[in-house]
Amino acid sequence: MIIVNYVVAVLLLVLGLYAVCTQKNLIKVVLGLGIIDYGINLLIVSVGFNDGGTAPIFTISDLLNGISSNFFVDPVPQALTLTSIVIGACVDAMALALVIMIYRKYKTVNADEVRRIRG
Amino acid sequence: MISVQHFPVIAVMGLFLCAFLVEIFGAKNKFIRNTIVLIAAAGAFALIASLIKPVLLNGEIISYWMGNWEPVSGYAIGIGYEIDALNMFFALLVVTTILLAAIYSIKYMARDHHLGHYYTLFLMLSGSVLGLVLTGDIFNMFVMIEIMTFASVALTAFRNNKFGALEAGFKYLIIGSIGSSMTLAGIALLYAQCHTLNMAQISAALTNSLTPTTVLAFALMFAGFGVKSYIVPFHAPAAEAYMTAPTSISMVFSGMVNKAGVYGMIRLVYVIFRAMDLAPLQLILATFGTVTMFIGVTMALAQHDFKRLLAFHSISQIGYVITAIGLGTVLGLEAGLFHAMNHTLFKGLLFLTAGAVLYAAGTTDLDKLGGLSKKMPKTTVCFLIGAFSISGLPPFNGFASKWMIYQATYEKAATTGNFAYAFVTIVALVVSVMTLASFIKVTQAVFFGQLPENLKDVREVPLLMRVPMWIMSVLCVLSGVFYNVVEKYLLTPAANAAFNVTNYIDKMMGDGTAAAAGVTNITVDGATLSLWNPILWLVLFAIVLIAVCIVVLTGENTRGRVLAKTENDSEDGKYATFFGGEKSTHSHVAGSDLFWGFKHDFKGYFKFIQGMHSGVVSDYALWAVVATALIVVLMFVFVH
Amino acid sequence: MKFKNGITEKNVIMKCGADMMLPFAVVFGIYIILFGTVSPGGGFQGGVMVAAAAVLLYLAYGYNTAKNAINTEVLRVGEACGATMYVILGLCGLFVGANFCRNIFFDNGAVGDLISAGTITFMGYSVGFKVLTGVGFLLLLMMSLLAPDSDEEEEEE
Repeated sequence: MIIVNYVVAVLLLVLGLYAVCTQKNLIKVVLGLGIIDYGINLLIVSVGFNDGGTAPIFTISDLLNGISSNFFVDPVPQALTLTSIVIGACVDAMALALVIMIYRKYKTVNADEVRRIRG
Repeated sequence: MISVQHFPVIAVMGLFLCAFLVEIFGAKNKFIRNTIVLIAAAGAFALIASLIKPVLLNGEIISYWMGNWEPVSGYAIGIGYEIDALNMFFALLVVTTILLAAIYSIKYMARDHHLGHYYTLFLMLSGSVLGLVLTGDIFNMFVMIEIMTFASVALTAFRNNKFGALEAGFKYLIIGSIGSSMTLAGIALLYAQCHTLNMAQISAALTNSLTPTTVLAFALMFAGFGVKSYIVPFHAPAAEAYMTAPTSISMVFSGMVNKAGVYGMIRLVYVIFRAMDLAPLQLILATFGTVTMFIGVTMALAQHDFKRLLAFHSISQIGYVITAIGLGTVLGLEAGLFHAMNHTLFKGLLFLTAGAVLYAAGTTDLDKLGGLSKKMPKTTVCFLIGAFSISGLPPFNGFASKWMIYQATYEKAATTGNFAYAFVTIVALVVSVMTLASFIKVTQAVFFGQLPENLKDVREVPLLMRVPMWIMSVLCVLSGVFYNVVEKYLLTPAANAAFNVTNYIDKMMGDGTAAAAGVTNITVDGATLSLWNPILWLVLFAIVLIAVCIVVLTGENTRGRVLAKTENDSEDGKYATFFGGEKSTHSHVAGSDLFWGFKHDFKGYFKFIQGMHSGVVSDYALWAVVATALIVVLMFVFVH
Repeated sequence: MKFKNGITEKNVIMKCGADMMLPFAVVFGIYIILFGTVSPGGGFQGGVMVAAAAVLLYLAYGYNTAKNAINTEVLRVGEACGATMYVILGLCGLFVGANFCRNIFFDNGAVGDLISAGTITFMGYSVGFKVLTGVGFLLLLMMSLLAPDSDEEEEEE
């Protein structure tokens, strides 16, 4: 169990939330969203770690020799992380496409001026 | 022949497959596109409706493992679908909404371009919500939430030359992504403790061991599902998205998408964590619900746009549902589920009539509409049925479900002796009255009153748009008059399924698992409803309606017409009679401000609330983060 | 939006570099897709690598050449075809009486061969194809918003 991974994951999450809540440029808000996703991916991968384990690919001869419980790391969080990376890439792509269209219509990317609906 | 247990997967995958087929074949050809969409929607409806007999009437639970990966030595290794009565209740709501929205949007969207993309996104949204309510695996639920968010954002910004559509889509994406990220963090922490992703097995593993990690996971997932169901600090992007989306999609949003959030919250609190017997948690949920109810309806009183007003009312009604669910009794859960079902019906009907007005008149601004009942009488009748339902007039369905909510909260106050629940009943009654006031204002501003010059030649909307409105009006009336039938066949199995967790675990993981893990059901009493007779109310309503019609039609029409005599500002001519003949440049009394005295008295409160909805995306994100932090602190203090 | 001349100018170093790297990128990406079940990688990773070839083309030759070299209609339809193949492969299991996504081709080869994992090999290929066409289309769309104007200015001189 690696402490540094968990600390950095929570730090990235907090930094990303700070960027979304306080920055005024819309592109910086989208970058903050990406940082939140990376922090959570690091958290998920660190959950599956086993001390002294190898990659979760094995052949039949390895199985027949008998394995201990720390033979390889948990493969399920790796699958979760792959899915989460794909989702993060799609969210960033869609957000940036919306920012491009907002720039074309509103001629600005400052969040204080992109607020025609309010109240 | 394909047996019944494959039907849920075929329904969900069929919707996705037809979405891709529309992309390949339907980009140019209108007839093929409409055919594929209608076949997909009708097919999903037929498959789910054929599951009513085994699941709801006979009480079975269908458990289905994808790829035939059965659990090995007590650990679930595959993705599982589990359908019990609670899932079936929400699935029926979802497929009804999809079918009616598909029929409505054939004519409504006929004037737009890029319709191939619209129908692809619509079918992906439908498939993802149906997959969300049918699945039994928690990561599968997260993936479906993400697909739902993407499709919703793309559909909100679909008409991108409409006022404010792009910024509404952007804000929805940012706040929705924050919510999904919180849910994912909660799922990761839950996996670290339980080493499984199946909801039934997690429920068995969490029996008497609530470590701090699982409490943090509970708080994060609670906040995540709260973002999806739009309770109060997370509600701002929803109000904008309902306003700028095409109206057939607004109906889908308010009918299906926030019910998915409510379903997630019920599963989380009742089944996975089984924490509903803790009194502080009930109080927390009731507080969130009450604040949502109140802020929703007071913001709605101050709006000038038809669809934004309906969006705030939608938020307020979800407050009712969350309050009723948070009570922790069988009657409370039944009342919450009944109100969720009625909300889908009457709010869908109101949004469809708003779409008809937009299609015919070209605007939804309350200051520019008026007097449309002479030109669109059938739409007016449907709107009036919807308005009576949402305000809670008997014998419509809004009255039946609100009556159950009042009874549930009052009984809770009586049995626990906690005066806060009686206060909740009083707030619910006041909010109901304010809802009625708001809808009187809208009816006067849009349908009765004076017809403006530029709307002289609006006509009634086409038949394909009227059919879903009629179907929903009939369902509103029927479920109000025959509420006994609804309660016996739909609500009681669903509420009992939420409390009967041992059955859920046993069917999925093999018999005896629940007993081995030490899971026991929370013992609850059955629900007894108070008595009222809907048939008498229906007769009374019909007599009063006939009397009003007789008086109006046979009396003289002595209403004069106000002419605009000034040259510069024809709008000021309307108010010249109010201000003693002097032309004023700023007139505070617009045509839709029927309760301006009320708003003037409380102007400090209204200015504060409207100032908080500032429209800046960073502000809305700050509310979401502060609310999440508050939920985490509250859960650690009370649920430990 | 204005760009410095460095991006759309026909630079000799960039053209030579892209000429060398482009076939390598495409072949390596397809290798990662094809061997998805026996080595690290798979559909998504390989698909993104092949789609990066579109960016290389844009950097070296400018937007007009990139747009004429790649047919966007094929990309758009191909993305939906990849997704349809995935769902149909999943529904194959229903015809033999098993559940959805059942492994029905599992008697093919020994562990470590190319076609040895059953249905999931073909599902990986269709995911790879879908990501390839989808991300390529997305990148072309974003590039078309960036620099069509300055490209035409260049050519008029």
